[in-house]
Amino acid sequence: MGIMKFIPKVLDPVPGGKSMVNAVDFIVNWARSNSLWPLTYGTSCCAIEMMATSMSRYDISRFGSEVFRASPRQADLIILAGTIVEKMAEPLVTLYEQMPGPKYVIAMGACAVSGGPFYYDNYSVVKGADRLIPVDVYIPGCPPRPEALLQGLMLLQEKIKKETLRNPWTEEDINTSPITNPFGDALQAWKHSETRKDEEQADARAKFKEENPDYQGYKHVRVKREVFPEVPLAEIPAKGLTKAQLFTAISKKFDQVGVHGLEEISPEAIEEHNPLEALNLTVPKTDYYDLINFLKSEAGLDFDYLFDMLSIDWKENFEMVVQMQSLRHKHKIIIRTILEKDEDAAADEVQAKLPTLSRVFRAAEWKEREIYDMMGISFEGHPDLRRLFLDDDFVGFPLRKDFTSDAMIPRGY
Amino acid sequence: MNSLCNTQLPPGFKRRSIDSETEEFFINLGPQHPSTHGVLRLVLRLDGETVKEVVPHFGYIHRGIEKQAESQTYLQYIHLSDRFDYLTSHINNLGVCLAIEKAMNIGVPERAEYIRVIVNELQRISSHLVFFGSFGADMGALSVFLYAFKERELISQIFDELSGARLTMNFFRPGGSFDDVPDTFIPRVKDFIKKLRPAMKEYHRLFTGNIVFLERSKDIGILTQQQALDSGCSGPVARASGIDYDLRRDEPYSIYSEFDFGVPVRNNGDVYDRYMVRMEEMEESLKIIEQAVAKFPEGPYRSKTRPAYRLPTGTWTSVVESAKGQLGTFIVAEKGDKPYRIHTRSPSLANLSMLNEMCMDYKLADVVAILASLDPVIPEIDR
Ligand code: SF4
Repeated sequence: MGIMKFIPKVLDPVPGGKSMVNAVDFIVNWARSNSLWPLTYGTSCCAIEMMATSMSRYDISRFGSEVFRASPRQADLIILAGTIVEKMAEPLVTLYEQMPGPKYVIAMGACAVSGGPFYYDNYSVVKGADRLIPVDVYIPGCPPRPEALLQGLMLLQEKIKKETLRNPWTEEDINTSPITNPFGDALQAWKHSETRKDEEQADARAKFKEENPDYQGYKHVRVKREVFPEVPLAEIPAKGLTKAQLFTAISKKFDQVGVHGLEEISPEAIEEHNPLEALNLTVPKTDYYDLINFLKSEAGLDFDYLFDMLSIDWKENFEMVVQMQSLRHKHKIIIRTILEKDEDAAADEVQAKLPTLSRVFRAAEWKEREIYDMMGISFEGHPDLRRLFLDDDFVGFPLRKDFTSDAMIPRGY
Repeated sequence: MNSLCNTQLPPGFKRRSIDSETEEFFINLGPQHPSTHGVLRLVLRLDGETVKEVVPHFGYIHRGIEKQAESQTYLQYIHLSDRFDYLTSHINNLGVCLAIEKAMNIGVPERAEYIRVIVNELQRISSHLVFFGSFGADMGALSVFLYAFKERELISQIFDELSGARLTMNFFRPGGSFDDVPDTFIPRVKDFIKKLRPAMKEYHRLFTGNIVFLERSKDIGILTQQQALDSGCSGPVARASGIDYDLRRDEPYSIYSEFDFGVPVRNNGDVYDRYMVRMEEMEESLKIIEQAVAKFPEGPYRSKTRPAYRLPTGTWTSVVESAKGQLGTFIVAEKGDKPYRIHTRSPSLANLSMLNEMCMDYKLADVVAILASLDPVIPEIDR
């Protein structure tokens, strides 16, 4: 744009020059605003609405923006459709920098505007895309309707039409503001004004009572409350072996297993205990691997499917939960193991260890990585133990109860 | 593109040796790439155009939902559950509600169950339509996208009238739904059934028989039954590999047991089969909706509400068959109205875990087709 900057300076003093500049502006802006080529950039839910906007019914091509480009070098608009998380921040800034100017950004949806539903108590969501790159148009909504996106696009077009050679588009700085709580002060001010309002209203009410001592008050009009019936819970019949049969089969080989939350074990007690849930077995850490191996290979049990693995932080120890099921016999089981925390390890270090299941079930490989990432439990013999979701340099393990992070803004009320 | 140096493989690559005479190299796909369905990032090891190893990287949309849920009430979690697999919001909502219902012993009236089934099946069709569209687009047939969204808009409109939202509905509550269906609901659903049947034929005419598509999908990206079982695949991905398991039939929750429908199963486990299973599933879903609409009863849409939803101490689980597979919810309840720990079993994560084996020795362009045929939704993986 270097040379263009001087055109108004040269032309404006000349008679008729002003209108020439205006004419050029008009044509340039008309062309520019009606051929905004967006980058295909959608991270989550809002992207579906962005797609819907460009598809049959809403048809974004009426506004000249249907040419979604896969490469930032061919695009001049990013529609930030979806949540931006810390790990995505760097790629996003790179994408923005790779776009040729003049370039524009629409923040679509509450997440891109401010973090949206993930504003409070969240360690990973960037609280507003404008903390990273300059945003031109904000569209509220979760997700915004296609009509709202179209309106946002039209607003952007209006904005572009206001550019002139006298005041051309300039690149703003990339934002690197630290994570702060911009709403904190606003929240305090709002609370303050609410209290003041309450006081004022109380005064007004007292004054009114004084002036009209025989005012009876008004009768409440109220929509009839809906009455809902009490309905019993429908039962889903369990299939496959019964809980007691499962327990007997297992306890023959592993005498240390117990039933979670049950003191005295008898077949009837097992059946009656927590009848809606699958059998919850507690197993000592030493038997954990062998038991799962046994469950998989023992004929008759055939737990051939690892449904899920998760861990719970009980403050003084961890609990590992493995859910298995047999697709053949359709019975299920939940295995629980208590892991003592290593007292010497710091809060941001691995505090417990277990043998890996990834050789028994392939499914365990990523689930164990997730547990390592979120809870800081290490798995011995795991082929590729890295963090699954978070950056390698992330400090701490978020799902632990004692996890703290500067990025987490506690709810202020 | 860096040339291969045996000592410094990028993270995640396991096979160390190079056995070819040509030079292998790595390329990066994503996180911003139109065919990675959001923000999946793949690092591929290529020998020419042949894929030798694939390492997926996640976390580009890790929103910390599980941590955040610990400071929200159970009912608030329903709205968070909309957002992990946004293509099947209703089904996610149902999963959470089922767990709460089980814990608090809340039953569901008949009409509410019918609403649930109809809405869930519509949601499944809507999700599969997005799959169909994006699959076509990934295979280079962009017009398929336009066709799929035409019918999907009809469903979005039904949901819009139902709950006021097109995508993140947050409609179900423990014991039913938060509101009754509007009068337009049943006529619109009937209208939709009438329109989708011919549209399905049109889809098949447009896309399924296409020779380019067949060439690119048959015998590509094979997932054997054993692999599928071992890696915990579920849903259409598993059913295309010959695992005949559908929660709606085998462990019927809600009132699925009252309907007569088939579970499409295929045995090759290639891209084509995964595609066909989903297309056939849409027809089965239509059958369910048809039966449910015919019997749609009057009555209350919700059972008695509770003053507060505090779950009794213990663990509560539920599983539902979402459009992607088995979606599990695991709630650990302690005192109070907030969960102590809440965990979602994501079907897409398991479905993706054999990606490396499936892509091996196919061409780079096939990776896109294989990935699209798995139909992952990345925010559900990352949560
Ligand atoms: S604003 Fe709402 S719909 Fe959009 S990405 Fe965020 S959570 Fe999803």
